[in-house]
Amino acid sequence: MTLLGYSRPFWPLFLHVLGAMTLVGAMLAVFVLTIAAWKRPEVAVLRRAAFRTLLILAIPAWIVMRVGAQLIYSKEFGSGGHDPDWVGIGFIVADAGLLVLLVTSGVAFWWERAGSTIAGRVVGALTGIYLVMLAFAWLAMSGKWS
Amino acid sequence: MSTAQWLLMFHITAAFFLVGGSIAAGVLNVLSQRAARPSETALFLRLIRTVLPVIAIGSIGTLVFGLWLVHELHFDFWSFWILAAIVLWLLAGALGGAGGKHQERARVLAERLAAQGDTPDDELRTILRDPRGNAMSWLAGLATLLLLVDMIWKPGA
Repeated sequence: MTLLGYSRPFWPLFLHVLGAMTLVGAMLAVFVLTIAAWKRPEVAVLRRAAFRTLLILAIPAWIVMRVGAQLIYSKEFGSGGHDPDWVGIGFIVADAGLLVLLVTSGVAFWWERAGSTIAGRVVGALTGIYLVMLAFAWLAMSGKWS
Repeated sequence: MSTAQWLLMFHITAAFFLVGGSIAAGVLNVLSQRAARPSETALFLRLIRTVLPVIAIGSIGTLVFGLWLVHELHFDFWSFWILAAIVLWLLAGALGGAGGKHQERARVLAERLAAQGDTPDDELRTILRDPRGNAMSWLAGLATLLLLVDMIWKPGA
């Protein structure tokens, strides 16, 4: 019965899942914008849109996802015992992901200001890498890998 | 991993595709409404098409793997939360489709205006700000959000 999340607290899990899915959606939008900008580097509105999506949507979504994760962890795994592998994978991806997200946002800021093609390609590559990391985390956590 | 764990993993992966793709489409839709020139509006609305396969895979995957899970775990198909999920899934699809048609109408006009001088136009602005057309997309998003609430809360389970 615990497989589908019965008897788990609603709000922490809801916040965690909603934050994670919003983060994936924001990164997917940024990825699409960077691919479009790759073909049309002269269109400044794509650079601005990518940076603002990271700032207004992706970073707040990461915060909601991480706060939800910590609340669930405190309630279900906070006794100091050995955590399952999928919990560890989730935390590693979440915390390393923040670094990737902040670096991506920094490069996107540079891209928006300077219009550098290289910066746009770095944003696209980092966004793609982060999407793969997020997919790995949701597969591990939903499949309860151990 | 048991069969149920595999199915749950695919079901949740499909949910990430459905919700993530819908959020990406929503972002691009908002960007199209805020764009200054018809060519920019057309560009953002064209980009929505690139995330539609992600939404479609997610939409079909959530239903197929969800119903398979119901069968695998011997849940009562007539439980409130399962019926509510199916109704919300249908609503989200129908409203999203209607919102998509509205966006397509705006894209066609924006493409035409972009080719004819690319100056801001009242007719395009009216379509982009049409409350009925936009309500379809926002209500589709609300149905998807309620679907997520239903899946986590499982009322009546």
